[in-house]
Amino acid sequence: MAPINNNRPALPPAAHRLPINVDLLAVGIALTLAALIRFGVIHQISF
Amino acid sequence: MTPTGPQRMTPTMSTQTIPLPATVRVPSTSQRIVSLFPGIALLFGIGMLGKLFEHTFTVLRTEHHWLMPQIEYVLWAIILGLIVSNSVGVHRIFLPGVATYELWLKLGIVLVGARFLLQDVLHIGGLSLVLVAVELILSLSVMTLLGRIFRLPPKLTSLLAIGSSICGVTAIMAAQGAIEPDEEDTSTAIAAILTLGAIALFSFPAIGHALHMGQQAYGMWAGLAVDNTAESVVTGALYGDEAGRFAILAKTARSSFIGFVVLGYAVYWASRGKAAVVENKALFLWQKFPKFILGFLAISILATAGFFTKGQLTSLSNLSRWAFLPAFAGVGLRTNLKDLVGQGWRPLMVGILGEIFIALVTLGLVFWSYGHGVAR
Repeated sequence: MAPINNNRPALPPAAHRLPINVDLLAVGIALTLAALIRFGVIHQISF
Repeated sequence: MTPTGPQRMTPTMSTQTIPLPATVRVPSTSQRIVSLFPGIALLFGIGMLGKLFEHTFTVLRTEHHWLMPQIEYVLWAIILGLIVSNSVGVHRIFLPGVATYELWLKLGIVLVGARFLLQDVLHIGGLSLVLVAVELILSLSVMTLLGRIFRLPPKLTSLLAIGSSICGVTAIMAAQGAIEPDEEDTSTAIAAILTLGAIALFSFPAIGHALHMGQQAYGMWAGLAVDNTAESVVTGALYGDEAGRFAILAKTARSSFIGFVVLGYAVYWASRGKAAVVENKALFLWQKFPKFILGFLAISILATAGFFTKGQLTSLSNLSRWAFLPAFAGVGLRTNLKDLVGQGWRPLMVGILGEIFIALVTLGLVFWSYGHGVAR
Protein backbone atom coordinates (compact mmCIF):
# COMPACT_ATOMS: atom_id res chain seq x y z
CA MET A 1 0.00 0.00 0.00
CA ALA A 2 1.47 3.33 -1.05
CA PRO A 3 1.76 6.01 1.65
CA ILE A 4 -0.76 8.80 1.73
CA ASN A 5 0.65 11.93 0.18
CA ASN A 6 -0.94 14.82 2.01
CA ASN A 7 0.80 17.37 -0.19
CA ARG A 8 -0.73 16.27 -3.46
CA PRO A 9 -2.81 18.87 -5.30
CA ALA A 10 -6.50 18.82 -4.55
CA LEU A 11 -8.39 16.89 -7.19
CA PRO A 12 -10.30 19.43 -9.27
CA PRO A 13 -14.06 19.11 -9.26
CA ALA A 14 -14.07 18.25 -12.96
CA ALA A 15 -13.19 14.76 -11.89
CA HIS A 16 -16.49 14.45 -10.05
CA ARG A 17 -18.02 12.40 -12.78
CA LEU A 18 -21.62 11.32 -12.78
CA PRO A 19 -22.06 7.62 -11.99
CA ILE A 20 -23.88 7.10 -15.30
CA ASN A 21 -22.96 7.10 -18.96
CA VAL A 22 -23.28 10.81 -19.61
CA ASP A 23 -22.75 10.43 -23.36
CA LEU A 24 -25.65 8.03 -23.84
CA LEU A 25 -27.88 10.06 -21.53
CA ALA A 26 -27.13 13.23 -23.51
CA VAL A 27 -27.87 11.47 -26.81
CA GLY A 28 -31.08 9.99 -25.42
CA ILE A 29 -32.36 13.33 -24.13
CA ALA A 30 -31.39 15.12 -27.34
CA LEU A 31 -33.15 12.60 -29.60
CA THR A 32 -36.24 12.64 -27.38
CA LEU A 33 -36.41 16.43 -27.48
CA ALA A 34 -35.86 16.38 -31.25
CA ALA A 35 -38.73 13.91 -31.65
CA LEU A 36 -41.02 16.01 -29.41
CA ILE A 37 -40.26 19.07 -31.52
CA ARG A 38 -40.63 17.19 -34.80
CA PHE A 39 -44.04 15.78 -33.91
CA GLY A 40 -45.39 19.02 -32.51
CA VAL A 41 -45.47 18.15 -28.82
CA ILE A 42 -43.09 21.04 -28.20
CA HIS A 43 -44.00 23.93 -30.47
CA GLN A 44 -41.47 26.71 -30.35
CA ILE A 45 -38.42 27.36 -28.21
CA SER A 46 -36.88 30.80 -28.10
CA PHE A 47 -33.66 31.91 -26.47
CA MET B 1 -13.36 23.56 -3.63
CA THR B 2 -12.50 20.26 -2.12
CA PRO B 3 -15.57 18.35 -1.06
CA THR B 4 -15.69 15.97 1.81
CA GLY B 5 -18.08 13.30 2.99
CA PRO B 6 -19.87 10.44 1.30
CA GLN B 7 -20.95 12.58 -1.67
CA ARG B 8 -17.41 12.76 -2.95
CA MET B 9 -17.15 10.63 -6.07
CA THR B 10 -13.61 10.62 -7.33
CA PRO B 11 -12.63 7.94 -9.80
CA THR B 12 -9.01 8.52 -8.85
CA MET B 13 -9.69 7.90 -5.19
CA SER B 14 -8.45 4.35 -4.96
CA THR B 15 -8.33 2.11 -1.94
CA GLN B 16 -4.61 1.68 -2.60
CA THR B 17 -3.84 5.09 -1.18
CA ILE B 18 -6.70 6.06 1.13
CA PRO B 19 -8.62 3.23 2.75
CA LEU B 20 -12.37 3.65 2.83
CA PRO B 21 -14.00 3.90 6.25
CA ALA B 22 -15.46 0.66 7.56
CA THR B 23 -19.02 1.99 7.36
CA VAL B 24 -19.94 4.03 4.31
CA ARG B 25 -23.60 4.88 3.85
CA VAL B 26 -24.49 4.42 0.19
CA PRO B 27 -27.27 6.82 -0.83
CA SER B 28 -30.29 5.41 -2.64
CA THR B 29 -31.04 6.29 -6.27
CA SER B 30 -33.78 8.72 -5.29
CA GLN B 31 -31.47 10.42 -2.79
CA ARG B 32 -28.82 10.76 -5.44
CA ILE B 33 -31.29 12.28 -7.90
CA VAL B 34 -32.58 14.73 -5.28
CA SER B 35 -29.00 15.67 -4.40
CA LEU B 36 -28.55 16.93 -7.97
CA PHE B 37 -31.24 19.63 -7.73
CA PRO B 38 -29.39 22.35 -5.75
CA GLY B 39 -26.38 22.29 -8.06
CA ILE B 40 -28.50 22.22 -11.22
CA ALA B 41 -30.48 25.18 -9.89
CA LEU B 42 -27.19 26.98 -9.23
CA LEU B 43 -25.96 26.28 -12.78
CA PHE B 44 -29.15 27.59 -14.37
CA GLY B 45 -29.36 30.48 -11.90
CA ILE B 46 -25.89 31.71 -12.81
CA GLY B 47 -26.55 31.17 -16.50
CA MET B 48 -29.81 33.13 -16.34
CA LEU B 49 -28.09 35.87 -14.38
CA GLY B 50 -25.51 36.02 -17.19
CA LYS B 51 -28.32 36.47 -19.72
CA LEU B 52 -29.89 39.16 -17.54
CA PHE B 53 -26.57 41.02 -17.29
CA GLU B 54 -26.08 40.88 -21.05
CA HIS B 55 -29.59 42.23 -21.64
CA THR B 56 -29.21 44.96 -19.01
CA PHE B 57 -25.87 46.12 -20.42
CA THR B 58 -27.33 46.14 -23.93
CA VAL B 59 -30.31 48.26 -22.82
CA LEU B 60 -28.07 50.69 -20.93
CA ARG B 61 -25.77 51.01 -23.93
CA THR B 62 -28.35 51.32 -26.70
CA GLU B 63 -31.22 53.14 -25.00
CA HIS B 64 -29.46 55.18 -22.33
CA HIS B 65 -26.17 55.61 -24.25
CA TRP B 66 -24.03 54.54 -21.34
CA LEU B 67 -20.46 53.57 -22.12
CA MET B 68 -20.79 49.84 -21.56
CA PRO B 69 -18.77 47.00 -23.08
CA GLN B 70 -20.61 44.39 -25.14
CA ILE B 71 -20.26 41.28 -22.98
CA GLU B 72 -22.05 38.13 -24.10
CA TYR B 73 -23.89 35.89 -21.67
CA VAL B 74 -21.22 33.24 -22.25
CA LEU B 75 -18.56 35.41 -20.62
CA TRP B 76 -20.93 36.63 -17.91
CA ALA B 77 -21.78 33.05 -16.94
CA ILE B 78 -18.09 32.15 -16.65
CA ILE B 79 -17.18 35.32 -14.74
CA LEU B 80 -20.07 34.88 -12.30
CA GLY B 81 -19.14 31.22 -11.80
CA LEU B 82 -15.51 32.16 -11.19
CA ILE B 83 -16.52 34.83 -8.67
CA VAL B 84 -18.67 32.36 -6.73
CA SER B 85 -16.13 29.52 -6.69
CA ASN B 86 -13.21 31.79 -5.77
CA SER B 87 -14.94 33.92 -3.14
CA VAL B 88 -17.57 32.12 -1.06
CA GLY B 89 -16.76 28.78 -2.67
CA VAL B 90 -19.19 26.10 -3.77
CA HIS B 91 -20.82 24.38 -0.81
CA ARG B 92 -20.75 20.61 -1.02
CA ILE B 93 -24.55 20.50 -1.25
CA PHE B 94 -24.17 21.95 -4.76
CA LEU B 95 -21.34 19.69 -5.95
CA PRO B 96 -23.33 16.71 -7.32
CA GLY B 97 -25.54 19.03 -9.37
CA VAL B 98 -22.64 21.18 -10.56
CA ALA B 99 -21.02 17.98 -11.87
CA THR B 100 -23.93 17.70 -14.33
CA TYR B 101 -22.38 20.54 -16.34
CA GLU B 102 -20.80 17.79 -18.45
CA LEU B 103 -24.24 16.41 -19.30
CA TRP B 104 -25.51 19.86 -20.36
CA LEU B 105 -22.37 20.41 -22.42
CA LYS B 106 -22.78 17.15 -24.32
CA LEU B 107 -26.52 17.68 -24.74
CA GLY B 108 -25.74 21.07 -26.28
CA ILE B 109 -23.13 19.55 -28.59
CA VAL B 110 -25.52 16.84 -29.82
CA LEU B 111 -28.27 19.40 -30.47
CA VAL B 112 -25.85 21.68 -32.35
CA GLY B 113 -25.79 18.91 -34.95
CA ALA B 114 -29.09 20.42 -36.20
CA ARG B 115 -27.15 23.49 -37.36
CA PHE B 116 -24.80 21.53 -39.60
CA LEU B 117 -25.61 19.98 -42.92
CA LEU B 118 -24.03 16.56 -43.26
CA GLN B 119 -21.90 17.64 -46.23
CA ASP B 120 -20.42 20.43 -44.07
CA VAL B 121 -19.76 17.95 -41.28
CA LEU B 122 -18.00 15.64 -43.71
CA HIS B 123 -15.99 18.44 -45.32
CA ILE B 124 -14.97 20.39 -42.22
CA GLY B 125 -14.89 17.26 -40.06
CA GLY B 126 -12.71 15.49 -42.65
CA LEU B 127 -10.37 18.47 -42.81
CA SER B 128 -10.31 18.56 -39.01
CA LEU B 129 -9.36 14.89 -38.89
CA VAL B 130 -6.34 15.54 -41.11
CA LEU B 131 -5.30 18.56 -39.04
CA VAL B 132 -5.87 16.63 -35.82
CA ALA B 133 -3.66 13.79 -37.05
CA VAL B 134 -0.81 16.26 -37.68
CA GLU B 135 -1.43 17.99 -34.36
CA LEU B 136 -1.51 14.68 -32.49
CA ILE B 137 1.82 13.45 -33.80
CA LEU B 138 3.57 16.75 -33.10
CA SER B 139 2.01 17.41 -29.69
CA LEU B 140 2.58 13.88 -28.36
CA SER B 141 6.23 14.07 -29.45
CA VAL B 142 6.85 17.53 -28.02
CA MET B 143 5.09 16.84 -24.70
CA THR B 144 7.08 13.63 -24.27
CA LEU B 145 10.30 15.50 -25.01
CA LEU B 146 9.41 18.32 -22.59
CA GLY B 147 8.50 15.79 -19.89
CA ARG B 148 11.98 14.26 -20.21
CA ILE B 149 13.71 17.64 -20.20
CA PHE B 150 11.86 18.70 -17.04
CA ARG B 151 12.31 15.22 -15.52
CA LEU B 152 8.64 14.58 -14.85
CA PRO B 153 7.56 11.06 -13.81
CA PRO B 154 7.05 9.07 -17.05
CA LYS B 155 3.37 8.35 -16.43
CA LEU B 156 2.67 11.99 -15.60
CA THR B 157 4.32 12.87 -18.90
CA SER B 158 2.05 10.35 -20.64
CA LEU B 159 -1.03 11.85 -18.99
CA LEU B 160 -0.04 15.40 -19.91
CA ALA B 161 0.66 14.33 -23.48
CA ILE B 162 -2.69 12.53 -23.76
CA GLY B 163 -4.61 15.38 -22.11
CA SER B 164 -3.06 18.13 -24.20
CA SER B 165 -3.21 16.32 -27.51
CA ILE B 166 -6.80 15.04 -27.43
CA CYS B 167 -9.52 16.21 -25.09
CA GLY B 168 -8.18 17.20 -21.73
CA VAL B 169 -9.71 15.79 -18.58
CA THR B 170 -11.84 13.20 -20.40
CA ALA B 171 -8.76 11.76 -22.07
CA ILE B 172 -6.80 11.75 -18.81
CA MET B 173 -9.63 9.93 -17.05
CA ALA B 174 -9.85 7.44 -19.93
CA ALA B 175 -6.11 6.86 -19.72
CA GLN B 176 -6.14 6.51 -15.97
CA GLY B 177 -7.73 3.08 -16.08
CA ALA B 178 -5.50 1.97 -18.92
CA ILE B 179 -2.00 3.01 -17.85
CA GLU B 180 -2.54 2.89 -14.06
CA PRO B 181 -0.69 6.03 -12.95
CA ASP B 182 -0.36 7.26 -9.35
CA GLU B 183 -3.32 9.24 -8.08
CA GLU B 184 -1.01 12.21 -7.60
CA ASP B 185 0.02 12.14 -11.28
CA THR B 186 -3.62 12.12 -12.37
CA SER B 187 -4.51 15.04 -10.09
CA THR B 188 -1.50 17.04 -11.25
CA ALA B 189 -2.21 16.39 -14.94
CA ILE B 190 -5.88 17.39 -14.55
CA ALA B 191 -4.94 20.54 -12.63
CA ALA B 192 -2.38 21.51 -15.29
CA ILE B 193 -4.85 20.95 -18.13
CA LEU B 194 -7.56 22.98 -16.35
CA THR B 195 -5.11 25.81 -15.66
CA LEU B 196 -4.15 25.93 -19.32
CA GLY B 197 -7.81 25.82 -20.33
CA ALA B 198 -8.55 28.79 -18.07
CA ILE B 199 -5.66 30.72 -19.66
CA ALA B 200 -6.95 29.87 -23.14
CA LEU B 201 -10.43 31.18 -22.31
CA PHE B 202 -9.10 34.71 -22.06
CA SER B 203 -6.03 34.66 -24.32
CA PHE B 204 -7.43 32.97 -27.45
CA PRO B 205 -10.21 35.50 -28.21
CA ALA B 206 -7.70 38.36 -27.77
CA ILE B 207 -5.25 36.68 -30.16
CA GLY B 208 -8.07 35.93 -32.63
CA HIS B 209 -9.12 39.58 -32.69
CA ALA B 210 -5.51 40.78 -32.95
CA LEU B 211 -5.00 38.54 -35.99
CA HIS B 212 -8.40 39.52 -37.47
CA MET B 213 -9.34 35.86 -37.76
CA GLY B 214 -12.63 34.92 -39.37
CA GLN B 215 -15.29 33.11 -37.37
CA GLN B 216 -14.71 29.73 -39.03
CA ALA B 217 -10.92 29.86 -38.89
CA TYR B 218 -10.93 30.94 -35.25
CA GLY B 219 -13.48 28.25 -34.33
CA MET B 220 -11.32 25.60 -36.00
CA TRP B 221 -8.28 26.87 -34.12
CA ALA B 222 -10.09 26.83 -30.75
CA GLY B 223 -11.34 23.30 -31.42
CA LEU B 224 -7.89 22.06 -32.42
CA ALA B 225 -5.78 23.81 -29.79
CA VAL B 226 -7.79 24.08 -26.56
CA ASP B 227 -7.65 20.81 -24.66
CA ASN B 228 -10.71 20.37 -22.53
CA THR B 229 -14.00 20.04 -24.41
CA ALA B 230 -15.84 22.54 -22.19
CA GLU B 231 -13.11 25.19 -22.42
CA SER B 232 -12.77 24.58 -26.15
CA VAL B 233 -16.49 25.16 -26.76
CA VAL B 234 -16.50 28.25 -24.53
CA THR B 235 -13.33 29.67 -26.12
CA GLY B 236 -15.03 29.36 -29.50
CA ALA B 237 -18.37 30.76 -28.29
CA LEU B 238 -16.66 33.79 -26.74
CA TYR B 239 -15.55 34.82 -30.24
CA GLY B 240 -18.97 34.43 -31.80
CA ASP B 241 -21.81 32.04 -32.51
CA GLU B 242 -20.33 30.63 -35.71
CA ALA B 243 -16.90 30.29 -34.12
CA GLY B 244 -18.53 28.31 -31.30
CA ARG B 245 -20.13 25.90 -33.77
CA PHE B 246 -16.88 25.35 -35.66
CA ALA B 247 -14.98 24.86 -32.43
CA ILE B 248 -17.44 22.10 -31.56
CA LEU B 249 -16.96 20.45 -34.94
CA ALA B 250 -13.16 20.51 -34.78
CA LYS B 251 -13.18 19.44 -31.14
CA THR B 252 -15.53 16.55 -31.90
CA ALA B 253 -13.19 15.33 -34.63
CA ARG B 254 -10.29 15.57 -32.21
CA SER B 255 -12.15 13.69 -29.48
CA SER B 256 -12.81 10.79 -31.84
CA PHE B 257 -9.10 9.90 -31.63
CA ILE B 258 -9.22 9.32 -27.90
CA GLY B 259 -9.49 5.53 -28.06
CA PHE B 260 -6.56 5.10 -30.44
CA VAL B 261 -4.18 7.30 -28.44
CA VAL B 262 -5.13 5.81 -25.06
CA LEU B 263 -4.82 2.32 -26.54
CA GLY B 264 -1.36 3.19 -27.85
CA TYR B 265 -0.22 4.29 -24.41
CA ALA B 266 -1.88 1.28 -22.74
CA VAL B 267 -0.02 -1.09 -25.05
CA TYR B 268 3.24 0.79 -24.45
CA TRP B 269 2.98 0.65 -20.64
CA ALA B 270 1.77 -2.97 -20.72
CA SER B 271 4.83 -3.91 -22.81
CA ARG B 272 6.98 -2.49 -20.02
CA GLY B 273 5.09 -4.50 -17.42
CA LYS B 274 3.65 -1.40 -15.75
CA ALA B 275 -0.01 -1.70 -16.81
CA ALA B 276 -2.50 -4.47 -17.53
CA VAL B 277 -2.50 -6.00 -21.02
CA VAL B 278 -5.46 -4.97 -23.22
CA GLU B 279 -7.03 -8.26 -24.32
CA ASN B 280 -9.80 -7.10 -26.66
CA LYS B 281 -8.57 -4.01 -28.51
CA ALA B 282 -11.76 -3.51 -30.56
CA LEU B 283 -13.87 -3.52 -27.41
CA PHE B 284 -11.39 -1.14 -25.76
CA LEU B 285 -11.71 1.30 -28.68
CA TRP B 286 -15.51 1.17 -28.53
CA GLN B 287 -15.56 1.68 -24.77
CA LYS B 288 -13.33 4.74 -25.03
CA PHE B 289 -15.11 6.24 -28.06
CA PRO B 290 -17.14 9.33 -27.07
CA LYS B 291 -20.69 8.20 -27.92
CA PHE B 292 -22.13 11.72 -27.99
CA ILE B 293 -20.40 12.16 -31.37
CA LEU B 294 -22.84 9.57 -32.78
CA GLY B 295 -25.76 11.64 -31.48
CA PHE B 296 -24.30 14.77 -33.08
CA LEU B 297 -24.04 12.94 -36.40
CA ALA B 298 -27.57 11.48 -36.07
CA ILE B 299 -29.13 14.92 -35.53
CA SER B 300 -27.09 16.34 -38.41
CA ILE B 301 -28.23 13.51 -40.73
CA LEU B 302 -31.88 14.09 -39.76
CA ALA B 303 -31.51 17.84 -40.36
CA THR B 304 -29.87 17.26 -43.74
CA ALA B 305 -32.58 14.77 -44.77
CA GLY B 306 -35.27 17.41 -44.21
CA PHE B 307 -36.75 15.67 -41.18
CA PHE B 308 -37.25 19.04 -39.48
CA THR B 309 -38.88 22.24 -40.74
CA LYS B 310 -36.97 25.50 -40.63
CA GLY B 311 -38.85 26.57 -37.50
CA GLN B 312 -38.11 23.25 -35.82
CA LEU B 313 -34.41 23.61 -36.63
CA THR B 314 -34.48 27.04 -34.99
CA SER B 315 -36.08 25.49 -31.90
CA LEU B 316 -33.39 22.78 -31.77
CA SER B 317 -30.72 25.40 -32.16
CA ASN B 318 -32.20 27.43 -29.30
CA LEU B 319 -32.43 24.28 -27.20
CA SER B 320 -28.69 23.77 -27.66
CA ARG B 321 -28.11 27.34 -26.40
CA TRP B 322 -30.24 26.57 -23.32
CA ALA B 323 -28.16 23.46 -22.72
CA PHE B 324 -24.90 25.40 -23.03
CA LEU B 325 -26.06 28.02 -20.53
CA PRO B 326 -25.54 25.83 -17.40
CA ALA B 327 -22.48 24.23 -19.00
CA PHE B 328 -20.76 27.62 -19.28
CA ALA B 329 -21.69 28.45 -15.69
CA GLY B 330 -20.20 25.08 -14.67
CA VAL B 331 -16.87 25.92 -16.32
CA GLY B 332 -16.59 28.99 -14.08
CA LEU B 333 -17.85 27.21 -10.97
CA ARG B 334 -15.42 24.33 -11.14
CA THR B 335 -12.38 26.57 -11.74
CA ASN B 336 -10.71 27.24 -8.42
CA LEU B 337 -7.65 29.42 -8.95
CA LYS B 338 -6.15 28.44 -5.58
CA ASP B 339 -6.20 24.75 -6.52
CA LEU B 340 -4.76 25.47 -9.93
CA VAL B 341 -1.69 27.40 -8.75
CA GLY B 342 -0.81 24.87 -6.05
CA GLN B 343 0.24 22.06 -8.37
CA GLY B 344 3.98 22.62 -8.72
CA TRP B 345 5.78 24.55 -11.40
CA ARG B 346 7.33 21.76 -13.48
CA PRO B 347 4.14 20.10 -14.79
CA LEU B 348 2.70 23.53 -15.42
CA MET B 349 5.81 24.63 -17.32
CA VAL B 350 5.68 21.49 -19.46
CA GLY B 351 2.00 22.18 -20.09
CA ILE B 352 2.50 25.85 -20.91
CA LEU B 353 5.42 25.24 -23.27
CA GLY B 354 3.60 22.35 -24.91
CA GLU B 355 0.40 24.34 -25.28
CA ILE B 356 2.22 27.30 -26.82
CA PHE B 357 3.72 24.90 -29.33
CA ILE B 358 0.34 23.27 -30.07
CA ALA B 359 -1.38 26.66 -30.38
CA LEU B 360 1.25 27.89 -32.86
CA VAL B 361 1.20 24.69 -34.91
CA THR B 362 -2.59 24.55 -35.12
CA LEU B 363 -2.74 28.29 -35.88
CA GLY B 364 -0.34 27.69 -38.77
CA LEU B 365 -2.38 24.71 -39.97
CA VAL B 366 -5.63 26.69 -39.88
CA PHE B 367 -4.12 29.68 -41.71
CA TRP B 368 -2.65 27.34 -44.30
CA SER B 369 -6.01 25.55 -44.78
CA TYR B 370 -7.96 28.77 -45.24
CA GLY B 371 -5.19 30.49 -47.21
CA HIS B 372 -4.95 27.66 -49.74
CA GLY B 373 -8.68 27.12 -50.14
CA VAL B 374 -8.59 23.70 -48.49
CA ALA B 375 -11.26 24.95 -46.08
CA ARG B 376 -14.19 27.05 -47.28
